[in-house]
Amino acid sequence: MKAFLKPLLVILVCYLLLKIGVPLVGSILHPGTWPVIPTGVMKMYVFFIVTGVLLMSTFSDEGYDALVGPIVDLYTNPAKAMLKLVTVVLVGALGAYITYQYVKPTFDAPVELRSIHPAPPSSIKAFGKRFSLQKLKNPFRVEDKEQLAKSAEEGGIVYYKNCYFCHGDKMLGKGPFWEGFNPVPANFVNIGTIAQLTESFVFWRIATGGPGLPSEGTPWISAMPVWHELITEEETWKVILFLYEYTGHNPRVTKEHH
Amino acid sequence: MNKMRLLKDLRKVTVLLVLSLFIAPPAFADPGNADNGHAIYLKKCWWCHGKEGEADGPGSKFMIPPPRNFAEGIYKYKTSPPANEIVRDEDIFNMISDGMPGTSMPPWKDVLKKQERWDLVAFIKNKLTDMFEDEPNPPSIDYSKKIVSSPESIEKGMKAFDAAKCWECHGRAGKGDTMKKLKEDTKHRVWPRNFTKPWTFRGGYTAESIFSRVTAGIPNTPMISFAAPETGNGKLSEEDRWHVTNYVMSLADPDRQTKEGQIVVKGAPLASLPADENAEEWNAIAGTAFFLVPQMIKKDRFFIPSNDLISVKAAFTDKDIAFLIEIDDRTKSIAGDAIAAAIAWDGLTPDALAIQTPVVIPTTSKKPYFGHGDGSNAVSMLYWNSGSVEKQNVSKMLKTTGTGAREESDSAAAGFTTSASYKDGTWKVMMKRSLTTPNTESDTQFEVGKYIPIAFANWDGSNGEVGPKHTLTTWRWLLLKPETGSQVVTFPLGVFLVLVVGQFMFGAFLRKNRE
Repeated sequence: MKAFLKPLLVILVCYLLLKIGVPLVGSILHPGTWPVIPTGVMKMYVFFIVTGVLLMSTFSDEGYDALVGPIVDLYTNPAKAMLKLVTVVLVGALGAYITYQYVKPTFDAPVELRSIHPAPPSSIKAFGKRFSLQKLKNPFRVEDKEQLAKSAEEGGIVYYKNCYFCHGDKMLGKGPFWEGFNPVPANFVNIGTIAQLTESFVFWRIATGGPGLPSEGTPWISAMPVWHELITEEETWKVILFLYEYTGHNPRVTKEHH
Repeated sequence: MNKMRLLKDLRKVTVLLVLSLFIAPPAFADPGNADNGHAIYLKKCWWCHGKEGEADGPGSKFMIPPPRNFAEGIYKYKTSPPANEIVRDEDIFNMISDGMPGTSMPPWKDVLKKQERWDLVAFIKNKLTDMFEDEPNPPSIDYSKKIVSSPESIEKGMKAFDAAKCWECHGRAGKGDTMKKLKEDTKHRVWPRNFTKPWTFRGGYTAESIFSRVTAGIPNTPMISFAAPETGNGKLSEEDRWHVTNYVMSLADPDRQTKEGQIVVKGAPLASLPADENAEEWNAIAGTAFFLVPQMIKKDRFFIPSNDLISVKAAFTDKDIAFLIEIDDRTKSIAGDAIAAAIAWDGLTPDALAIQTPVVIPTTSKKPYFGHGDGSNAVSMLYWNSGSVEKQNVSKMLKTTGTGAREESDSAAAGFTTSASYKDGTWKVMMKRSLTTPNTESDTQFEVGKYIPIAFANWDGSNGEVGPKHTLTTWRWLLLKPETGSQVVTFPLGVFLVLVVGQFMFGAFLRKNRE
């Protein structure tokens, strides 16, 4: 029995080393990741391990008998007829299950990966003119606190007449109609959106909307309107100011080139 | 002796004091700071409710129901007894905390602390109006005689619902298909609740909340208080109000709600298609529900839809495909119909529906623009409207390549037919056409086993919805799921048999060898 279990144990240990050990090493080298071995490669490794172990353990006659003996005994010993029946059915069921996995039809919806923050073009056309995004600054972001607050409030008025329906009262992307959209409206409080972006990037995304997404901006189904057709350039800048003031985020600033 | 008595009295007082701690009304428990409330109000609330609470903030023009006017001090969802016009602090607190489902008021408890919400209550109730000055916080409606729901109670509730003529506004099936034109605050449109959609109940979906509406009514709307000490004049006894509550709750149909992540209309393979929209075969097919959102993407933008949900089923044979669309619509809008015209807001036009699919089924994840396609990617549209008194049920097939760029396609060649009927607040519309058509340039050629982008649009003709003013869905999927082949059963079964027989033969072989 011991000689029968040993090869099984070796196979199990090797499998666990590949399944957990390798990703574990990866996670130590690159904290925060868990790099698993791809299924196809894994299958290949397991095949070689099983073949190797079988070859090794059947190399000598004793080894061969120790491994094959219990199996022969199971299939021939009349005292183990019940166990034999159970094994026969289990092996059959396992084969049937594997076959079913291969022949069953699968209907999964095509994966639509949402690209976050696609690279902006160097310049855009909106409001009837051309803007170079790199040099573009929010003209309403001024030193004067009072003036800034006034512009932000004017931006808020624009927001509640145009944007809140989807992006919501709380800027969480959950306005009254948010559930009807796919992809869902952006959440401005989340540090993954405007907090990571320059105001010129936000200006681009608002002014040209979903149809203005570049070719890498999959899946191209954003319902964001083309705002330069609906609001003015001034309103766009003010609403951007409002988003940052309300959420308390600071826009990303690019280094000045001298 | 006197000393003993004093001690005894003191003990009594202490016991009473301790007891009073437990039974103190919550109104004393959370006094809010109105000044702090004002600061929060100016950051979060005024955008709709207005700086002076007069419901005139910049967002107020774009929503129905309109924001509450705090200066007027009239609250719709209150739990103080009907004779008492004063809203309870707890009512305002709960509205702020939980929001009002189906309206523009979101729940605030995730971003405002409990104390901040009480601060807002103090500011809104006492500083934006002087109506409640020096008035004590009223007691709650008495729920102590609550009747637990049972088939008998529901039956009694149904009779009371009928006798009190609740159906005049809420409809025979409780879907809010009113027979009257209803107004709120004497000017805004208001639609009665659809009882089959519990997730749209403004004050939350509990027996107590519904009982409160029946008892106290909804002030400033046609929903009156049905509380009356004696029955008569169409009013309801306290017992009957609980029965009506149980009846209303029995009408809920949560199955019709949109399920998160459910984005595929799965077509059922049939030998022959259902004859019409009311055919029983449809009952066996599972539907998928989608939210309808107003068209606010292009001019003329639309913000105040009345229909919120579309339910879609699909079936197909080797030749044809059929869609069944169900929409809860409170009004049957047919141009020229006098009854419909009397209920309609903003003119009366036909109700309409459209199904949109790309003319060429995309092979990558790039689809035509969801609003009528775009210059290089055309969409095909199956369109139906309820028509006019002279000619009901109008349908056509269209090809569009962007807003306004449309041309009619050959419906006859595609075998496109529609049938529709309206009953108890629901339109059922069946659209049928052949899977493939000779007109490959303008019609979608439906393919079995492929994911096909699909989108929907709806116009409620009694709600001023015409042209670009309508509701829609963005792209979803249609899958005509092929009949599962028999190999799904035969292959695994064959492997099973081979393995079982093989093992027995293997055993026999071993025994023979050993001998």
